Amino acid sequence: MKKKVISIMLSAVMAAALLAGCGSSSSTTTTDTSSSETETAAEETASEETTEAAAEAASEAGEEAASDAVAASGDATGKTFAIVVKSAGNPYNEKEIEGFQAVIEAAGGTCVVKEPEAATADAQVSAIQSLISQGVDSISIAANDENALQSALQEAMDAGIQVSCFDSKVNASSRATFVNQAGTQEIGQTLMDAVYDITGGSGQWAILSATSQATNQNAWIDAMKSIAASDEKYADLELVEVAYGDDEPQKSTDQTQALLSNYPDLKVICAPTTVGIAAAAKVLQDQGSSVKLTGLGLPSEMAEYIGDDDAHSCPYMYLWNPIDLGQLAAYTSIALVNGDITGTAGDSFTAGDMGDYTVVEADDGGTEIILGAPFRFDSSNIDEWKDIY
Amino acid sequence: MAGKSGRTIQAVPQNSVKKMLLSWEGALVLLFIALNIFNTIISPSYTLTNVLREMPKYLAEIFMLFPMAYILVLGDIDISVGSIVCLSATVACMASNAGLPMVLVFAVGLLVGVACGLVNGIILTRFTELPSMIVTLATQIIFRGIAEISLGSGGSVSLKNIDGFNAIGGKLGKVPYVFFFVMIAAVIFTVILAKCSFGRKLYAIGSNSTAAYYAGVNVQKCRLIVFTLMGLMAGFCAMFLTSALFGANTTTGQGFEMDVIAMAVFGGIATTGGKGNLIGGIISAFIIVLLRIALGQINLNSQLILVIIGALLIIAVLIPGVSSNLRARRKMKTTA
Repeated sequence: MKKKVISIMLSAVMAAALLAGCGSSSSTTTTDTSSSETETAAEETASEETTEAAAEAASEAGEEAASDAVAASGDATGKTFAIVVKSAGNPYNEKEIEGFQAVIEAAGGTCVVKEPEAATADAQVSAIQSLISQGVDSISIAANDENALQSALQEAMDAGIQVSCFDSKVNASSRATFVNQAGTQEIGQTLMDAVYDITGGSGQWAILSATSQATNQNAWIDAMKSIAASDEKYADLELVEVAYGDDEPQKSTDQTQALLSNYPDLKVICAPTTVGIAAAAKVLQDQGSSVKLTGLGLPSEMAEYIGDDDAHSCPYMYLWNPIDLGQLAAYTSIALVNGDITGTAGDSFTAGDMGDYTVVEADDGGTEIILGAPFRFDSSNIDEWKDIY
Repeated sequence: MAGKSGRTIQAVPQNSVKKMLLSWEGALVLLFIALNIFNTIISPSYTLTNVLREMPKYLAEIFMLFPMAYILVLGDIDISVGSIVCLSATVACMASNAGLPMVLVFAVGLLVGVACGLVNGIILTRFTELPSMIVTLATQIIFRGIAEISLGSGGSVSLKNIDGFNAIGGKLGKVPYVFFFVMIAAVIFTVILAKCSFGRKLYAIGSNSTAAYYAGVNVQKCRLIVFTLMGLMAGFCAMFLTSALFGANTTTGQGFEMDVIAMAVFGGIATTGGKGNLIGGIISAFIIVLLRIALGQINLNSQLILVIIGALLIIAVLIPGVSSNLRARRKMKTTA
């Protein structure tokens, strides 16, 4: 009996080993520079994966840019750069990873991708701890909580790792700098103007956000609220509710339906999250609702909902290019690791063909690098963007 | 007294525990050794220093394994513990931000845990017909709900003064303090379950609560104590977790209940009650934690890690069933 149990357990271990073996080469790009096998395998997978137009564009840009970057800011060869996103299975995060990877690999560096099992701070803490163990040279993170990662990230910095964040920031003492997709005020203003324009200047509107503690979401919502309060122009607009869909399609759908039944006079829903806007767009369009939608969304997911007529739920929406954001995060990491910048305000560096960027003071006492203004997607340009990302 | 009469039932579980020691725990020790060899091979970063540094967050969860094992031995289950951790961490952070000294903050954190455990216990012992799964499902929602309300619209609270919690999260040499606390708790809980009359009463209740009742065991009192203990240990978990996160948010402790139940079940503690012991639970907890750390170090897809752990769990649950099947078949053959 005992023998049987042991043999079953051993075979289980072997099965796990097999699984582990396949997984490491397919799900992440490169894990270990010392092993040439892993590297070639990873390169193969990387090239296999880059079949889509989007990826092509990204890697082309990345390659060209990378040669510039090498000239401008030294080499990334032999260095390991880690990217930690919010959670696995998020298409927006995947595009950021794509951009990041393309730049790092073109510059000769090794890229490690961490997608935590859940969109929580403690899953990210485990990921950071694991990266410290591996002795990576830099960590670039999109945070699930602004303050909860402080202890882990400071430990990383103490271990000599260059820490920066992108997309969703950590507090000023946990980072060298923050790669900001757009100024908070710029996004707040853009979205507020979109709401003003779509409602016609008066009426009820609601916000459909991600989780209630997502740093970037809250910053944008606060900016929208303060802009609405500061200008007489927005006085007739009534924000009835901020709903939280937790970036889960089902919950976002439920929240949208709740908004529709609770506020029959609702005119516009503004969803500054890609998951929320896609879920809301489907609900509104399927029900033929007169409520209109705007916010921040991925063109590929939103293409069928964007249009000026009543058959489409979203007249226009905004987003920056997540591939660009990932690329800028990668250039920033390289510049930090090579010592071209330290993350203090006034530092400037060349991000390949993306041009020159300067580190500026952020509202929270730290510094940031701003990617640019959000980009508007409407019926005139959605067709050319929907295949890109 | 109930204590004396409780001893008379000892023969019932003793037998199965002995068998367990011969097979399942033995296999777990072998697996533990095999796993460490395997980990060293797959991950160049799998060193003692790194493992100890990555461990505190997982160790905090292991606090809850001990009382969860008791609850499973009783034949009950508690799925509200993740939410208790969230509420306890939230209140403790708020107490700390209100300027309370660290000793009081710690006490408040534990007290919140105890209070939540007591609520579970009182509901379950007053209304004995209610299944613990449903009651703790309800309190899971309630406790996290209260935490979310207290956290307000921001959904998170962070410590203004981290000195106190930083001290708890400190290390003696390379070994984090939390490791020692977990070991102390492990010894106390293991001895009570294996050697004390209270532990035997739990096995008696888990095997047959009616029989235990007629043998003079105060069944409901035991359940109340165990559920309250669960709350207390969830409080400990929350305090040590906060020392790593310096704050709390609405997702704090999410999914911990399942992690803890998985560790216990993998350790051979049956959810049907009356079976298993803590030694198996503790070894299996470390097996799961070390496996996660090593697979994380080789940057395996996090979802795939979950799949592997889930698969191991299924195997662990299947083996006792399969082996008893085989035994039954062999018996039939010999008799025929």
